[in-house]
Amino acid sequence: MDFTANYDMFLTAEHDILRRTVRDFAEKEVAPHIRAWDRSGAALDGPETRQHILPVLKRMGALGLLGICLPARLGGAGMDYLALAVVCEELERVDSFLRVVMSVHTGLNSLTLFQWGSEEQQQKYLVPQAKGEQLAAYCLTEPNSGTDAGAMLSTARRDGDSYILNGEKTWISLADVADNFLVFAKTDPSKGNRGISCFIVERSMPGFSSHPIHGKLGVRAGNTGSVVLQDVRVPAANRVGEEGEGFKIAMAALDNGRYTVAAGATGLIQASLEASLRYARERQTFGVPIAEHQLVKRMISHMVRKLDTSRLLVYRAGWMKNQGRRNTRETTLAKWHATVNSFEAADDAIQIHGAYGYSDEYPVERYLRNARGAIIYEGTRELQELLQADFALGNRENRPLRRELPAYDPEAWT
Amino acid sequence: MHIVVCMKQVPRDNSVKINADLTINADGIEQIMNLFDEYAVEEALQWNEKLGGKVTVLSIGPDDWKEQVRRALAMGATDSLLLSDPAFAALDVLGAARVAAAAIKKLGDVDLVLCGRNSTDDESAAFAPALARLLGWPQLTYVGKIPALEAGKIVAERHLEEVIETVEASLPAVASVIKGINEPRYPSLLRIRKVAKVEIPAWSAADLGLTSADLAPVLNLAGRVPPPPRPKGEMIDGASAAEKAARLVDKLMEAQVI
Ligand SMILES: Cc1cc2nc3c(=O)[nH]c(=O)nc-3n(C[C@H](O)[C@H](O)[C@H](O)COP(=O)(O)OP(=O)(O)OC[C@H]3O[C@@H](n4cnc5c(N)ncnc54)[C@H](O)[C@@H]3O)c2cc1C
Repeated sequence: MDFTANYDMFLTAEHDILRRTVRDFAEKEVAPHIRAWDRSGAALDGPETRQHILPVLKRMGALGLLGICLPARLGGAGMDYLALAVVCEELERVDSFLRVVMSVHTGLNSLTLFQWGSEEQQQKYLVPQAKGEQLAAYCLTEPNSGTDAGAMLSTARRDGDSYILNGEKTWISLADVADNFLVFAKTDPSKGNRGISCFIVERSMPGFSSHPIHGKLGVRAGNTGSVVLQDVRVPAANRVGEEGEGFKIAMAALDNGRYTVAAGATGLIQASLEASLRYARERQTFGVPIAEHQLVKRMISHMVRKLDTSRLLVYRAGWMKNQGRRNTRETTLAKWHATVNSFEAADDAIQIHGAYGYSDEYPVERYLRNARGAIIYEGTRELQELLQADFALGNRENRPLRRELPAYDPEAWT
Repeated sequence: MHIVVCMKQVPRDNSVKINADLTINADGIEQIMNLFDEYAVEEALQWNEKLGGKVTVLSIGPDDWKEQVRRALAMGATDSLLLSDPAFAALDVLGAARVAAAAIKKLGDVDLVLCGRNSTDDESAAFAPALARLLGWPQLTYVGKIPALEAGKIVAERHLEEVIETVEASLPAVASVIKGINEPRYPSLLRIRKVAKVEIPAWSAADLGLTSADLAPVLNLAGRVPPPPRPKGEMIDGASAAEKAARLVDKLMEAQVI
């Protein structure tokens, strides 16, 4: 069955061609190696030396995926925000590490430059990022500051025409791989959230270093690490937005990052379902395929429900982005719903596979390990729950931003 | 050089159902470009990059086949043509070849027609030969490499079971290609947007001057059932891998396979 059919209220034939293209890429160029790549992450010790990561990212860049929803004039493919969701779904259907690249490079970093960056910043950084010539990451989290981003300790001290950055960022996806980093640091530590500013930092800047995190539960095929900034001199021209605007920028970025996470989680649900359907038809117990046992059917039906509801929530958020409407509530809901459901779907997929689901002979245990992270990063489940309640209770509203994410413009973007 | 690629849309997998009237029910199964046709498109594009001219993707099918036509356009084809008519619904392979031949004649300036060696649904492998015959052009089947293509001449390697044959033919000609002749590219994302609004010309039976007599099948389907399931394999027991391997060799020798 084609689980992506009948979304024509959101998607066009262009999205279908795109989906097929991304699926072909992921199935042909990643799926045959993914078990070995995932295992390589479990064994990683010392610096990031694995050879598969950069070539895959460069391939994604050459295909145009990394700039999928940016105007052609900025080096992008000129497709819309729903296309970004389709790419994330199809990538995570094969492995989460591919989608993580879309989340940090495209969602959190590039779309932030698109929304907030100056013309010069866009020409210098966004264009090569959209083309995949340079890779980008997003540095908000610190050892003592995750959910409570305002508690960050990194500082940026003004010094003439530049800022001097100091601090440590951790749990940074692509820390050892990316060229450019959006770094959030306090320009005025006395002002709390209002004292945070946002900077573009290059790996090549003196005082920058990174190292990988070892022993991760999931996303083992990809790179996650820490970034240390020691008296890194960053030109004032690399400040994104105004001084003190960093917290707003970080949160607006998450409206895009969470959207990619939600779409990816939808792809992971689909992968769990597809693996379960295959296995349930083949495996026999008591003389019949296990697909004929009612309790197995129930697990399958719940996966279908989780898949469709997640996809609908994601596409609604994408549709709103296309219109240029603020979508914090809708994106957050999609992220919460899809990630929690993707973990449950992967769990049921393991159950359907019995003991075989418990080893990496089948992909479903990898799906479970990968799904777990998305319930933590880009806002934990608990944070999303609080947000939804606060929106519903009227404690929270979206105040207009100084710069909103541009609406999709099919004419101007092509 | 004007290269026409004949392209068919097929269900992605063959878990199709068979309707009571013996037609195929592929509801819910994703439709894709026939695997071998993708190689034909790629081959046409590579030659077009060298020689210039036009690559026209031609497809006989209903309106919803346009997506695969657009996919070929997004890969780089310069022109497209859909041959669409309710009268084309029940064509057999000869009828389909007649429709394509009429269109290719009407196009007029065609130098080379590339097809996949067969479609993965009907698997007749007779379309390209029938088309060549109807056009009166040389036919080159099972082409695994085209070492040369120039004005008036094609050199092709035919990859047959036992030998590789190099053949030369004058143009215009019809060639059917096999898997592995090249590595088909992915559609370009930028072109996906650009071709989204391209008007795909559609010609009907009347446009092609075809009558119902031309389209009447010469082959009538008398039955259609799924093939019997593959017999179960045999598991070979043994205490160690070496012992299992030894038993396997014994069995294969018994069966005179080795
Ligand atoms: C694989 C992976 C990749 C990552 N990539 C990046 C990246 O690229 N860039 C980046 O900046 N960060 C990244 N992160 C970090 C991630 O965003 C943080 O881990 C996340 O924001 C949670 O922060 P924390 O881990 O410090 O948990 P904490 O904030 O310490 O939370 C611990 C627990 O307390 C709960 N909690 C906290 N506050 C509240 C509250 N007010 N009410 C109720 N419960 C609460 C949380 O929900 C959680 O269960 C990544 C993390 C992972 C695992």
